[in-house]
Amino acid sequence: MISVAAIFDSAVTLALGILSLSFLVTIYRIVKGPTLPDRILGLDMLVAIAIGFIAVIGIKTGYTLYVDVAIALGLVGFLATVAFARFVLSRGKTEDDIITEAREAAAAARREAKAASRSGAGTTTGRPDND
Amino acid sequence: MTEIAMLASAALLVIGSFFALVASVGLLRLPDLYTRMHAASKAGTMGSCLLLIALAIHADDIGTMSRALAGVVFFLLTAPVSSHLLAKAAYAVGYRLHSSSVMDDMKRED
Amino acid sequence: MSLFLVNLLLALTWSAVTGSFSFLNFAFGFVLAIFALSLIREQVGSVGYFSRARRVLSLLVLFLYELVLSAWRVAVMVLSPNMNLKPGIFAYPLRVDRDFEITMLANLITLTPGTLSVDVSDDRRILYVHAIDASDPDAARRDIAEGFERKIMEAFR
Repeated sequence: MISVAAIFDSAVTLALGILSLSFLVTIYRIVKGPTLPDRILGLDMLVAIAIGFIAVIGIKTGYTLYVDVAIALGLVGFLATVAFARFVLSRGKTEDDIITEAREAAAAARREAKAASRSGAGTTTGRPDND
Repeated sequence: MTEIAMLASAALLVIGSFFALVASVGLLRLPDLYTRMHAASKAGTMGSCLLLIALAIHADDIGTMSRALAGVVFFLLTAPVSSHLLAKAAYAVGYRLHSSSVMDDMKRED
Repeated sequence: MSLFLVNLLLALTWSAVTGSFSFLNFAFGFVLAIFALSLIREQVGSVGYFSRARRVLSLLVLFLYELVLSAWRVAVMVLSPNMNLKPGIFAYPLRVDRDFEITMLANLITLTPGTLSVDVSDDRRILYVHAIDASDPDAARRDIAEGFERKIMEAFR
């Protein structure tokens, strides 16, 4: 017969292991993106996992102050997500928009440079094309 | 502390961390932002709430217990708000739904 | 709502008089206060208070049940080897009209199986809900209308 304390200890260790794994998986999603809201969602999830982590550590060490840390972290995470959402809204464009804009800007610059070099064909100071 | 409380706490620990893992795997596997939000807002919330409840059961004194439960309530209140805000912002800015989506009533007729 | 405050106040008084602010004693004081209020229900007009409390409680139970169910469904879906998703956004015509109720409904929808509230139209008539399985939006609409919206209307009207 295994003692209850032993079961509890192994449950704590198991929980810590699973949480570490989910931490890593979430970090992979944050690194991979592909868009800003995906990363924000990943960070939100990371805060949730961290709160769980703190709870487990609080159980393991018996140090009750960790509960306050968890609550404060939850507050900060919530505010951070809200602020990020406001930022996404105020930025007002997606990654695709940014890429398209950059391409268009590059194309316009190229066209301009070409036009400049054609109009200035007589002179030798026309700027060279960079493509 | 009684043995039953200890066993319940151990079970909640394992189940809660399992849900956290499921949420992050969902974050990894689901195709677009909006479906990922389902995983994060449901399984993720559930996971950390269960872990906090396990802490509440395990705690000896009433202060820790009530603070942990207050944390659970707080988390349940804020998690849907933040994911709702993020979804709204993302949709308003123009992040598209995944191509496997079957309908979109929100699309403006223009 | 004010009766609930009276209830809390009575429970606090009980804790103060007995000189122990432990959780159990406070809960006992709360039950005692409910009993006291139910004794004088005709005088203070608290007849509706108890049935309302019961309905709020049943909303809470339904919510917790749905939360567990939804987390489980997400788990099953995520862990199944081939995800055959048909996500989509459907419009849900709101029957509740107060800000508080809409907020509550949106939050409950977010934490229930397969649905996530995305936006409310400017005239507060339509709630846009993202569903992870939008193959049958009418059934989803019916579920919300019969479940949470009805319970919210019962509890807060």
